[in-house]
Amino acid sequence: MKKNKLTLKDMSNASGQLVELNQEEFMKLPPPYNTPDAQPPLKALTEEARGKFECDLDGFMAIKILRPKSRDEEERLVNKFLDGLRKLLSKENNWTFLMPLSLSLEYCAKCQTCSDACPIYVSSGKKEIYRPTFRAEILRRIVNKYIRKQGAFSLKMTGNDIELNWKLVARLAELAYRCTLCRRCAQTCPIGVDNGLITHELRKLFSQELGIAPEEIHTKGSVQHLQKGSSTGMIKQAFADTLEFLEDDIEEKIGRRITMPIDKKGAEILLIHNAGEYLSWPENPSAFAIIFDAAGIDYTLSSEIVGYDAVNYGLWYDDFQLARVALKHAQIAKDLGVKKIVVGECGHAHKAISVIADRIFTGDLNIPRESCIPILEDIVVNEKIKLDPRKNDFPVTLHDPCNMVRLMGVVEPQRRILRKIAPQFREMEPHGVENYCCGGGSGFAIMPSLNFPDWRSSVSARMKFKQILDAFQDIIDPSIKKMVCAPCSNCKGAIRDLLAYYNAWEKTGIAYTGLVEIIVNAMVDIKEPYIEWPEF
Amino acid sequence: MTWLPYLSYISLLVLVGGIVVKVIKYIRMPIHLRWELYPVPHENKEGSYFEEIDWWKKPRKKHYLNQIVFMAQEILFIRALYHHNRKMWYASFPFHFGLYLVIAWLALLVGESLLKIFGVIGGVTEALQSVAVVVGVAGMILGTIGCVGLLIMRATTSDLKGYTAPTDYFNILFILAVLGSGIIAWFFADPHFSVVQEYIRGLITFSVAATPSKTIAWYITLFSLFLIYLPFTHMTHFFMKYFMWDKVRFEDEPNFRGSSIEGKIAKALNYTQNWSAPHIQTGKKWSETASKGVE
Repeated sequence: MKKNKLTLKDMSNASGQLVELNQEEFMKLPPPYNTPDAQPPLKALTEEARGKFECDLDGFMAIKILRPKSRDEEERLVNKFLDGLRKLLSKENNWTFLMPLSLSLEYCAKCQTCSDACPIYVSSGKKEIYRPTFRAEILRRIVNKYIRKQGAFSLKMTGNDIELNWKLVARLAELAYRCTLCRRCAQTCPIGVDNGLITHELRKLFSQELGIAPEEIHTKGSVQHLQKGSSTGMIKQAFADTLEFLEDDIEEKIGRRITMPIDKKGAEILLIHNAGEYLSWPENPSAFAIIFDAAGIDYTLSSEIVGYDAVNYGLWYDDFQLARVALKHAQIAKDLGVKKIVVGECGHAHKAISVIADRIFTGDLNIPRESCIPILEDIVVNEKIKLDPRKNDFPVTLHDPCNMVRLMGVVEPQRRILRKIAPQFREMEPHGVENYCCGGGSGFAIMPSLNFPDWRSSVSARMKFKQILDAFQDIIDPSIKKMVCAPCSNCKGAIRDLLAYYNAWEKTGIAYTGLVEIIVNAMVDIKEPYIEWPEF
Repeated sequence: MTWLPYLSYISLLVLVGGIVVKVIKYIRMPIHLRWELYPVPHENKEGSYFEEIDWWKKPRKKHYLNQIVFMAQEILFIRALYHHNRKMWYASFPFHFGLYLVIAWLALLVGESLLKIFGVIGGVTEALQSVAVVVGVAGMILGTIGCVGLLIMRATTSDLKGYTAPTDYFNILFILAVLGSGIIAWFFADPHFSVVQEYIRGLITFSVAATPSKTIAWYITLFSLFLIYLPFTHMTHFFMKYFMWDKVRFEDEPNFRGSSIEGKIAKALNYTQNWSAPHIQTGKKWSETASKGVE
């Protein structure tokens, strides 16, 4: 293991695990987590996993790359990596991001302004390997040496001399999954370089050329989504059964039955939820049903495969998977004859279908897409349903999902809603477009294998945890119940795991929920509290 | 030194040619997927049009003035560095602002030359000359301070050292040499920059007659060599910022049916891709691969 300060060349030269994480060096957390014993120890990989998979980066594993059996296999994989890199820089193969990628590869001034904007780099105690420019600079050097074929003198002068071997490729693959693509780094760059984009493109190279991606986002994610209907594995019949269950549950909770419209031709809106909500937080789609029913919104859900799951994991790692899911969503909307597609509380699904896939749709598949947040704002702020803010008389803070806020610009409507219905609403700092990622972005929230969840909760989500604790620091006593509102399924998943990891409900009284649950909780017509706090 | 004007002409040709080649390279790139980053200043708020219901039915309001003001702050005052890396800003701001003043100085000298070519002499040209001296000297001194500051930072800050290549030092030293030779030329040989202005006038009229002194010739030579070198470096970010900010970070133009954007997308979807991972049908058009699904 590397003892001295890590250099870029160590990625290909050093043997064994490159860095060891030391919890004592991590960014300090506020009370009651300001003592070393308040933090759970990090799990180590088993010897079996170490022997079987490539894990020579930081002792954690996001993707399971089998160790090559021979030098020939290593060489074949390295050559494939180079093939992929050439494709990444060609317009036929990568028209989708050629310009942004080329610009970010060519114009970095290496001023390191982006470093302190990165929550992972800062939370880890400024581990060099997590610096936003580290992986980007590795890729730049490989491009300059092996693709643009700079001469020996030029390589020496420009500092681009790096040896490309399997060790480097395997570490780079893993390192591509130590960034949540929150793009906070890009926001601070005085030139406009985007190291988050370089990470995104690296992930694409590995997926589209070498077939390497975390199984939770590829095989069990986008592939399952396209083949079975949902990344959760929920098949069409199970979706119908789930809706029936939700209708029963709503009836039990509010005393009247609400029918959730399915496959209603000619409806105004096709509403698509992250299917994870149906399984993990059924109260969220139920809350939508209650609000839309009360406000008289003309909408439908779809029971077509893919149509009942808004997620689009391709956004994080593969342009083709992204396009396939987005086109399927559009086709379903077209077949139903709806006027627009509205995405429920799922940040990445928002960005995937509204922003990124905007330049994949042509002709009659180019159906307007909209966030659920402005509709909810219209219902709440214009008092289309009766609400009593006193029913939400507990402290609430708002988490800004990166994909919805910094990367799509939906910033204020959710705040106007909370100001209207939550009298004790308070902001985290920083917030809005300068927010910090939940730590589960870019797929991390749904990657539970091996010891990766430990890394997520202790490193990538650490800054978010600090923000949450800081927001409630004056009322941190666990007897005061407080709520984090996270209008995004993946963020909720990450925050759920984060709060559980630190035993936060018991120690601080902090719980989490979505936005619609807080709205329904304030509805005058619903007598019993809709929000169910965890049990002590 | 009869070669000096030729060097100056060559340097201008290489500079303009290099810029044109780089710009054309990026202009000819296909349309890319949207990748904007908020705040987008022409949206006139932190958020976007996605905050509105039925946004596509409403007229697009783009506040170009906001964007111009935002970019002016970014370019002139290095706003992002000021907010996010103040230590480096103390060196980078004088460096960049000094260079802007030097460019303004050159523009003033060109303006003065043109006026003289067209027979305007007297008060206006004298005023331009006086302003040029102040702007030029201020620019060279500020730029020199910035260069020294950047060199010290790159050589001594651990965050920067590991990522700084010999060419990065060379680039700063080159600029330092150009600015330093300018200060020397001003101080020892050309206190009103009248010789340099005469030289520029000669270049414009293709009639450089007098041979400047060695001190000034050194300055002009270094300056010309720098202009030749510039297009081959990442220092061209001064104009590539247009693509990085306007064409990527602020590019939130929606794709409407029948729009020119849709036409460009249709063209891109026609490209044949050859990615070779098992879930991608290599050798097919983009549109076919995307619509077929996983086989």
